[in-house]
Amino acid sequence: MATGSVLDLTTETEGDTTVVIPAGRIDGSTASPFQESLLKLIEGGKGSLVVDFENIEYISSAGLRVLLLAAKQLQAGGRKIVLCAMRDHIAEVFKISGFSEILAIHPTRQDAIDAG
Amino acid sequence: MPDNLEEAISEALAEATDGPIKILVVDDEVDLEALVLQKFRRRIRRNELVFEFAHNGQEAMEKLDVDDDISMVISDINMPVMDGLALLKQLNETRPNIRSVIVSAYGDMNNIRTAMNRGAFDFVTKPIDFNDLEITIDKTLKHLALVREALSNRDQLVALSRELDVARDMQASVLPRSFPSTARYNTHGLMVPAKEVGGDFYDFVPLGEDKIGVAIGDVSGKGVPAALFMMACRTLLRSHALEGGRPDEALAYVNNLLADDNESCMFVTLFYGVFDSGSGVFNYCNGGHNPPRLVHRGGQVTALPTTRDVALGVLPGHTFSQETLQLESGDMLFFYTDGVTEAEGPGSEELGEDRLDALLATLDDTSCDDVTSRVLDQVREFAAGNAQSDDITCVALRYLGG
Repeated sequence: MATGSVLDLTTETEGDTTVVIPAGRIDGSTASPFQESLLKLIEGGKGSLVVDFENIEYISSAGLRVLLLAAKQLQAGGRKIVLCAMRDHIAEVFKISGFSEILAIHPTRQDAIDAG
Repeated sequence: MPDNLEEAISEALAEATDGPIKILVVDDEVDLEALVLQKFRRRIRRNELVFEFAHNGQEAMEKLDVDDDISMVISDINMPVMDGLALLKQLNETRPNIRSVIVSAYGDMNNIRTAMNRGAFDFVTKPIDFNDLEITIDKTLKHLALVREALSNRDQLVALSRELDVARDMQASVLPRSFPSTARYNTHGLMVPAKEVGGDFYDFVPLGEDKIGVAIGDVSGKGVPAALFMMACRTLLRSHALEGGRPDEALAYVNNLLADDNESCMFVTLFYGVFDSGSGVFNYCNGGHNPPRLVHRGGQVTALPTTRDVALGVLPGHTFSQETLQLESGDMLFFYTDGVTEAEGPGSEELGEDRLDALLATLDDTSCDDVTSRVLDQVREFAAGNAQSDDITCVALRYLGG
């Protein structure tokens, strides 16, 4: 019920790799537009998808679900999702939920692009 | 939730204002038809207005019977077969959503009064001034649009709140109604659902005289889908746990079933442990849930070492691991969901684990039911009136000794 939460999303490309840089909170009210954007990018691209968390302040379980969904979509086409540049408290969410064991997480965007 | 609501409202608005407005003109003067069509030709061409014509009240009712799209009636008073006042009476009784405008002779106050008393929305006088008629039509249509919008919003809101109620009822129906306790241990738990239910749950599983299973979980997302997933998870866990198996095996079993064909990628963070009050041993497995706390007598608080397992429903075939903890007499285990630590206070600051731990340190000698309510109090005090955005769940178990 966070009021006025918005998720700005910018996109860059590096060769075949699409880099998504969302900003703000990925929570119950922004998860579904986030999901739509990611799935559209996956459909329109052909390489890996890098999600840069540099400007993400918060991610809820609804947001984690979107990443899983994106990972599944990409895997089905033999592609990868790579996450990067998480703040400590965001990294903690991935660690506690165990998703850091399933999703590739790198310290910087360049590392993520190299790994993609 | 605000998103859904805004969508619902804008859809309702679009529906209320979409398409041409159909107006039925009822008059026994046949010339009027041509005049109306001529006068409003531009708006007819722009597909804003559509006119239908009838020559007396009965014909009008027949048209209305076969055409649900008519939203406004403009009627003369003096007509053969069924006059305008009789038509108004019928409209008022059978079609409350239609607005009618009456056409009367100038100065005919008796008929105008009767018409208004029978529910006419407005009147125009003869001979018809078409500019005046147009203003009256627009005024009536504006009123109609507002009424429809209000009705439509109300219906959408009712539908949404029904869905919220369903999720809430589902969640409430599976929560423990009593808190197991013996001479060796006691327990307490509470869950306060958010307005949009978040899919939290907890459970106590009776495992004979000495043993008890404790589960706490949090499903991703909110509303009915989360509540359904939660119920499936809770039932699966119970069915396995009641056989007295190991926590890691129970979670593996639940995980495989939830992960099978899980197109939506929903998941649940689930902690399950079995406490043996005969020995004080607590075996547990943590599927991606916030680490519970061990509160010692004297106020030392530690997080239970994680088993590094992943939330359930994601990785089919995942092998879960198990940790063992030896409790001492007086030790308390405290389990919670992130609705506690992520409660937001003024300035979007989160309550956080440090504040929770600091409070728990002062509750080392407090009864379990007081512990859960003190934590809830702390959350509410901290939130200081901010809306509760997620379910709040806390569970306490204290070992009283052998």
